[in-house]
Amino acid sequence: MTIPFCPPNSLPNKLLLLFVFAIIFSSTARSQESQSSSKLASWIPLQAVPSFTVTSRGDQSAFGFEWEAAPLLYSFGMTRLVSPWYAFVVEPPARFTGSIELVATGQINTAKIGSSYFAGSFQLLGHIPLIERGEHLGLNLGVAQYYYGGSSPVYAVAGISTLFGIVHLNVKHSAQPASWIGSLEIRLF
Amino acid sequence: MIALPEVRHILPRDQRRWLALLLVVSLPLLHSGCSPVMNRFISRMMERINGPIEPVKNKIANPLRPNIGLSVLWVGHATVLIQIHDKVFITDPVFTRTVGMLVRRSVEPGLDPSAITRLDYTLISHIHLDHFSYGSLDLLPKGGKLLIPVGAAGYTPEFGFAETREMKPWEVLEKDGVRITAVPVQHFGGRYGFDISWCPNRGYTGYVIEYKGITVFFAGDTGYHPELFKEIGRRFRIDLALLPIAPVEPREFMQRVHADPKEAVQIFEDVGARIMIPMHYKPFNQGLEPGPAYTQGLLERVIEEKGYRDRIQILDIGEQLVLIP
Repeated sequence: MTIPFCPPNSLPNKLLLLFVFAIIFSSTARSQESQSSSKLASWIPLQAVPSFTVTSRGDQSAFGFEWEAAPLLYSFGMTRLVSPWYAFVVEPPARFTGSIELVATGQINTAKIGSSYFAGSFQLLGHIPLIERGEHLGLNLGVAQYYYGGSSPVYAVAGISTLFGIVHLNVKHSAQPASWIGSLEIRLF
Repeated sequence: MIALPEVRHILPRDQRRWLALLLVVSLPLLHSGCSPVMNRFISRMMERINGPIEPVKNKIANPLRPNIGLSVLWVGHATVLIQIHDKVFITDPVFTRTVGMLVRRSVEPGLDPSAITRLDYTLISHIHLDHFSYGSLDLLPKGGKLLIPVGAAGYTPEFGFAETREMKPWEVLEKDGVRITAVPVQHFGGRYGFDISWCPNRGYTGYVIEYKGITVFFAGDTGYHPELFKEIGRRFRIDLALLPIAPVEPREFMQRVHADPKEAVQIFEDVGARIMIPMHYKPFNQGLEPGPAYTQGLLERVIEEKGYRDRIQILDIGEQLVLIP
């Protein structure tokens, strides 16, 4: 199993392998009740809700829509009654009470960035609770590698989360090539 | 003539059109997407958002007393500090200025959380924002146990209590002579709305506390059910019932999950309690009824009709009642 157009040992393919392991692991690690079909039935349609981005890179800039998924999340803020490992289905408190997550995104831009309207990324994000265990305010820090047509810059990520961990305002900066992404991310599970 | 500075837009003109289109489409959708009832709720919430918070005069500084049988202090909403002999319990503790970031309290908490020097049990009836307040739990002593309904663990941060335990309906926890039973009530799950199907038929409970021959029933948040409370009444000989009486309106919207004063008194009769203390009608006005005075008026009318003046005790926020010296 590989991602098309990516060499077998490239980072995206390694991450894909990690996703597969994460899914297998989570299905055994998490409690049976949290795997119920009713949860999936409400989780799946909510993933269609897009986040909004503004990308500026040299003389190119674009407004865009982005969709995120968390193939793997380790929560360090939750009660010991539940497993700290999550894959894809993540109840908001697991994220905002303190966590490290691997995020995969897909992006559609309204103008070309590089040579494509489409982009994708893998991100490693940490969430640090600030107010009310992060439910009112949290800090996001991390790194992201974006894949545009013809380039794959690495961004530093910083931002905040608020409104029960649902709304994230993040800024991403890459020095080489110099570019910025501002994002209003809606994270429902 | 004043020369306006040149504005350098981060987005070119065609991109700005996309952004404008998005705003034009999404804002009316956000507004009109809400039902008329929801719009009235939002209006009510916005009215309160800058309202004053009424202080509580003569707050009790030392609520825990030596040599007492049963005392109850209403902190507000569903937060009640209960002392049965040497054991101390608190229900659904909320001490924050708001619940859900936007619903603001109209009266300050009836007790300073620092006055609670020890707690044996902290009981959470369900995970709604007005009953399971993360910021409030951080203010309480952690030496005791935190009890939550089954299905709530996925929404429970690690607060540092000596033990956190999920309770299934009719499950019993027994330790050092204290016996706590999780009892079924009629409410609904979820915390943020979009996760309502997360725990559709669980994630909410009532509790019956028994210690040294005294029995207290805390209903949490519940609608009336014709069988459920009779069953609780058959299983326990309840001395005190702490029952929610609001939100009341709109009745067709609330009835299944929230008892009004008349239904609360029916619950009181069904469980066969000796004394009832009403709660959950202030300081967070969650329904569309005029306010807590209106709800209290409804209750007083039922008390008069039924002749329960001695058996239904209405407390002020911050008032402590010693029921068994």
